[in-house]
Amino acid sequence: MEAVVASILLLTVAAAVSLKSERGAIWLSVAALALLLVVPRIELLMYSMLIVAIALINTASLTVKRNQITGVDYSLVALIAVATMYIAYTNNPAFILAAFVLASVPTYILVMVGDRANVNVAIKYITFMVLATVLFLIGAFLLFYTEYYPSEILYTLGFVMLILGLGMEVGCAPMHEWVPDVFTAADPLPVSVIASITKIVPFVAAYKILILTSSPLTAHLTLFVAFIAVVSMFTGNIGALTARETSRILAYSTVANMGYIMTTLVVLSSQNYLYLAFAGALLQLIVNAVGKASFFTSIKVDGTSTPLMYLIAMSFIGLPPFMGFYSKLFILMSLVGAGFVWLAFLLIVNSAISIPYYVRIARSLARPTIPGRATAIAFVASIIMLITVIPPNWFVDVATYLIGGV
Amino acid sequence: MILEFLLVPLIAVFIAPFFRPKAATGISAAAFLVPFVLTVYGLAANRVFEEPLIDIVKPVGTFYLLGDQISFAFGFAICIVSAMVALYSLPYMVHRFEEMSYDIEHEYRRFIFLFNLYATSMLWLVFSGNFILLYIFLEISLLSSFLLIYMYGYGNRRWVATLYFVWTHIAGMLALIGFLITGFDNGSLAFNGIAKIGFAAWLLIFLGMVIKLPGLGPHIWLPWAHAEAPTPVSALLSPLTVGLGAYVILRVYQIDPWFIKEYMVPIFVYGVISSAYAGFAVLKQNDYKRLLAYSTVSQMGYCLIAICLGSYGAMAVVIQYISHAFGKSILFMTAGGIIAVYHGLRDITKMGGMHEQVPTISNAALIGFMNLGGVLTVGMFGEFFILKGVVDTFGFNIPAILSVVFVFILSGFYGFYTLKRIYYGTPKDYKKARVPRLLDTPLYIIGVISILFILPPLAPLLLNAIKLGIGGVIP
Amino acid sequence: MMEYEIPLLFIAPVICSLPIAFAWVRSPGAKWAEKLAYLSVFGLFISLVIALHILFTYQEGRYTIQWLPEYNINFVFIFDYLSKYMGALTGIIAFLIGVYGLEYMKGDYRLGWYWFFFNMFTASMLLVVYSDNLLMLLIGWEGLGLASWGLIGHWFRDDDEISYVGTVGRKVGPLNMFWPPSMGGWRAISTIRTGDMPMFFAVAAIYALTGTLDISQIHWGGLFHMIGYGGTVLLCVLFLMGPFTKSAQLPFSEWLMTAMTGPTTVSALLHSATMVAAGTYVFMRMSWYIQPWNLHSMPGVEVVYIFVLFVGLISALYGASVATGCRERKVLLAASTMSSLGLMFGCAAASYWFGKFAILVAFWYLITHAFAKATLFLVAGHLIHATHDRFSCGDLALAKRMKVAFAATIVATVFLVGIPPFTAYWVKSGMDEVIHHIAHEVGMAPLTLLILTSLLYSAALAKFMSQNFIKGPGYHLHLHGEKLMPLAYATMVSMLVVLLYEILTGTEHVAGHFVEMGYVSSSFIVGLGVTAAYVIGTYKPSISALSKLGTFLSDRMEMPFLNDYIVPGVGWVIAWLVGLGNSAIDWFCHRGIPSAFNRFSRSIRSIQVGYLRVYLKIALGFVMLVIVVSAMGWW
Repeated sequence: MEAVVASILLLTVAAAVSLKSERGAIWLSVAALALLLVVPRIELLMYSMLIVAIALINTASLTVKRNQITGVDYSLVALIAVATMYIAYTNNPAFILAAFVLASVPTYILVMVGDRANVNVAIKYITFMVLATVLFLIGAFLLFYTEYYPSEILYTLGFVMLILGLGMEVGCAPMHEWVPDVFTAADPLPVSVIASITKIVPFVAAYKILILTSSPLTAHLTLFVAFIAVVSMFTGNIGALTARETSRILAYSTVANMGYIMTTLVVLSSQNYLYLAFAGALLQLIVNAVGKASFFTSIKVDGTSTPLMYLIAMSFIGLPPFMGFYSKLFILMSLVGAGFVWLAFLLIVNSAISIPYYVRIARSLARPTIPGRATAIAFVASIIMLITVIPPNWFVDVATYLIGGV
Repeated sequence: MILEFLLVPLIAVFIAPFFRPKAATGISAAAFLVPFVLTVYGLAANRVFEEPLIDIVKPVGTFYLLGDQISFAFGFAICIVSAMVALYSLPYMVHRFEEMSYDIEHEYRRFIFLFNLYATSMLWLVFSGNFILLYIFLEISLLSSFLLIYMYGYGNRRWVATLYFVWTHIAGMLALIGFLITGFDNGSLAFNGIAKIGFAAWLLIFLGMVIKLPGLGPHIWLPWAHAEAPTPVSALLSPLTVGLGAYVILRVYQIDPWFIKEYMVPIFVYGVISSAYAGFAVLKQNDYKRLLAYSTVSQMGYCLIAICLGSYGAMAVVIQYISHAFGKSILFMTAGGIIAVYHGLRDITKMGGMHEQVPTISNAALIGFMNLGGVLTVGMFGEFFILKGVVDTFGFNIPAILSVVFVFILSGFYGFYTLKRIYYGTPKDYKKARVPRLLDTPLYIIGVISILFILPPLAPLLLNAIKLGIGGVIP
Repeated sequence: MMEYEIPLLFIAPVICSLPIAFAWVRSPGAKWAEKLAYLSVFGLFISLVIALHILFTYQEGRYTIQWLPEYNINFVFIFDYLSKYMGALTGIIAFLIGVYGLEYMKGDYRLGWYWFFFNMFTASMLLVVYSDNLLMLLIGWEGLGLASWGLIGHWFRDDDEISYVGTVGRKVGPLNMFWPPSMGGWRAISTIRTGDMPMFFAVAAIYALTGTLDISQIHWGGLFHMIGYGGTVLLCVLFLMGPFTKSAQLPFSEWLMTAMTGPTTVSALLHSATMVAAGTYVFMRMSWYIQPWNLHSMPGVEVVYIFVLFVGLISALYGASVATGCRERKVLLAASTMSSLGLMFGCAAASYWFGKFAILVAFWYLITHAFAKATLFLVAGHLIHATHDRFSCGDLALAKRMKVAFAATIVATVFLVGIPPFTAYWVKSGMDEVIHHIAHEVGMAPLTLLILTSLLYSAALAKFMSQNFIKGPGYHLHLHGEKLMPLAYATMVSMLVVLLYEILTGTEHVAGHFVEMGYVSSSFIVGLGVTAAYVIGTYKPSISALSKLGTFLSDRMEMPFLNDYIVPGVGWVIAWLVGLGNSAIDWFCHRGIPSAFNRFSRSIRSIQVGYLRVYLKIALGFVMLVIVVSAMGWW
């Protein structure tokens, strides 16, 4: 906890330093991230290592090309990482919501930088984000409110609004309209951050809030979650099939991935397999974060090493022994365990639909291997995808610990 | 002990790419011959090996390696076919790379890596003692074969590869859900931890494996994939990979056979229809590899038929897998031989009397079709057990008898008819070519093994072991 | 001794043929490779010696080599009356024809293939002959089929008219009435597979029901009792599909006619003397142990034997009639072979009523026929060699130039058709007696068929003799000073004299009985009829007034339509339907579904118009809707 506070302080300094020296800003950001590794428990260490790795990848992506706010952007990424880390520690509603906002706001800035800086896109993005944040916060407040003054209708409304806010924030259909536009029109480098690390906090926050405020009503409301998840999966995967630009395919792929993750929330109705559901969701978020960051960076430099691109694509499809397989496995396990076999079935249908476009992404980004920053990022991403060659039991422990305290 | 042997090909996967093509091929072939020794020993040893690897979260249970007679029998076929196809792939892929104007040495590294990964994953699959572990290897084999088709296939190869990927991925995922349901029912997915398999789980696994196998309907992916894959890949895909569907069904069947017993008649009818349907489709094909692909569908129908037929039927599944593996690998390699020697010649209408130009390949094709028809090869026992199983199960049920007999006749028919179309008759005007030794010798090695299997000491070795494996329940 | 001899009996020919097979792959046509043919004949010689050794010294009994003891399936060899004689017969004929082949096949383009399959055939045949175990018998059986296919299609190039069957270019309706070797091979294997698989099933069923496969050990009565009437008929008919197809009984006769596209040695060994006789041999062997004469309480068995009786005799009549119309040397002989096989089936089937003796008669007829027909084929081969013509041609001048051939032909035909007092007369008398005896059980039809067949058969062979040596059409003679070929058929034909000696002196205990039957007056009348038919056939080998009928007969009563038109026609229709089905599924799965997805995909992306207000309308509309619905839902 203290380390997190310290790293926030460091980041503040970094932002100041960045005016003078970019190098200094990077080092300070990295130091701030390194501080996050100071954690009391082994499970948290694993989590923080993954988060820091993602943050470093995102930072590295931003260094591929200078932008208007070079220096500050590193700190912004680090700030999101700090929020992502922070939310792991806390079960306090106020802190959870604070982390939610903290992870969201830096992206408002990031979306406007880069070669293709475009106010129109930024407005779309920010509008949606603001709406999402509002919905999310209201939903959360209502839920917490019902903790003290039980009311079924308020709980229902709170739940629905929270999910809607979450969906809008991360880009679930049918509130996904901003995703393809932003991902296609904005500069790939900031998008590599927006599509990546920022997706983690909303989900973790939603999980924590929903568990904190769980009520028997959840069982009925999960159908609504399932609806959004299914619509999202199908919209994303089918939408991606005929999209031509790689970034647009990735946008739809994001929609689909958010759908997959959203499905895990249905497991809230039967608490037994929640740890699996959360493990699946979190691992899928990490896969998404790592893979998307690498893909978008590759788009910026017009392709990177062939085997790495294919490897990441295969991980997205969900083939063992890559990480993408285990995330889907955990999700499927939790769904089957909780009795949602039909949802699991729809998930695999989607997984099959997704094959053609992932292969297309890999092919369109595949180039001969030349050493470079983008290649290095893809390489690191591939390594992360490969750490699950040994089945990741530990990850389930991490997930259990993260929500176990709730 | 199994682990050490299985690690050899796995290590070869990563080592082989660092060598020049010739050495890499040698290493790969040798690496598969090492576990081959193990499988022969295992068939003779009359005991079951279990080697735990790692414990996974509930409900996955323990990952362990299981070496029982069934594994050894399947592993036997996989090892020998993989080793021979590895040898074969050197001249073939060199030809293919030249055709695609790739840098041979560089491209061969990639190829041999993927190839070895593909074959090794299948080998590990049959020694997996946990359904999730099994699924993992199923998907690894899918991934590597997909990439091989995607990169080196013929025709519209990217489309075909994607199609193959989608179909078999659905197949695998359906089975995965089935496995997971089973896991939650039993608290474990290790073979030795499962007691019963519910309806939904059985159905999903069965459907998935029928797509993989494939049965009539889903079979439509197979002719595309097997025909357009580069031949060494076809020679693993068709003989080894699709039959693994039967392997999975057999494993599930051994644990809890109620589903098959309950729905015996529909499955049997479905098997007969698929087999006969595909058998007729073979007659009409004009592309050698596509023809062989349809014949695979027909042969895999045998497995569906056999699984319904009690314990002799289950034994027939194993033998059918082996005999089909032998026969079809030989046949695909003959097709590839002609492709390599005559620069992509696959159209049967342009062949005829090819025995004149490539007698060694022609004779190998004869052995291949003998395997498919069960003539004087190990397949004979397969057919024998299926027929015995029909009597055991259905008694003197005339439609059942006649349909099975008809299906068997059909296999012989299309085999010899194809031989006549391709290899006999008035020779076409092709120059007599010298067939590189690696393009025909491996075929004969497989052929000789397949014939030796009807005689002692190999026949009792295999059949006794299978009897033990099917009769003796998995510990 | 036994433990070496018996494996060697089968392995020696195969091993000895491998050198030439491999040598031919490496350097086809090389002189040194051609020399290796002697080695393969040596392999046949080893088999012959062992077979004779078995005939003369072995006790009746069985010998077992472990194969699959766990399954109670072993290599079980049986030495009884049938197998000892049949084995020796096979050995002798195979060896003699092997010697003949050394000269006949000289300079052929595919000697490795030829000798490998020739020797493999011999080994398979011996396996069938000596085997008591049905699965082991099936291995030999499949070997026969395969070897037959390989040897019929030996001249796979289809480039030499001399190897065809039928008049090249002739068409009847939609059918080509001529068949190249590759077609001959395909017709043979397809027919044989059709029969083998039901037989295979029957074997498996026997195993499933009794747990053993040893013919001599199975309790047949118990088995038939267990499966009842329907089961017995089904099992036996399925089993008999194998013998019927292999022995070319109706309606499976066509393949034997076009099997004549193979080299003449092959026709002599496989398609007259041994392989086709294997079908009847197996039937005899089974009947020997089934002992149907003891199973009269089981109606199923009777039905089966009546069925075999009539199939055999009708095929016999068909074959003999076709033979009278044939102009091709080998096809004529093939048709007459089919006829003889029919007689064997018919006679052996009579054992149900007559007892074991009927089988012995049929078996002796098999032996007589084998030597005689093999001789005739070898002569025919020599004639084809000498005249470069597969149609009958030749006159007395030719007979003078080829004295040995002429003499051998006369002896073989006379001894075979049943002219008293030569070999077949005595055997046929036995047959007449057997069939006559069963008249009150099955009526006069069998006897009528038998006598008609005998007459036509005699006329057909006389025609063969006459048209080739006395009154045939013109020819060109190219003699090459063959030595081994005349030697081989002269030796072969002399075996008939040995048989005659055995019968007349009664040194062989079974054959002695035939003499008694030969003295029955009715047999003698038939003998006279046969003689008359032979004389007529010799005097007037072709009758121009009957040329229409002759054409019908030589077109084999349009039977080719079954093999080449009806069955393939049905097959192609189904294959066409299957092709349609495949295209439909293919279109649906790989065009229809993807294009539906494409359309769907485009419509999903069509909302991306780029205007924020549109997006907000959709998103906020959805949010409001959900909130309202959930509030309502709660209410």
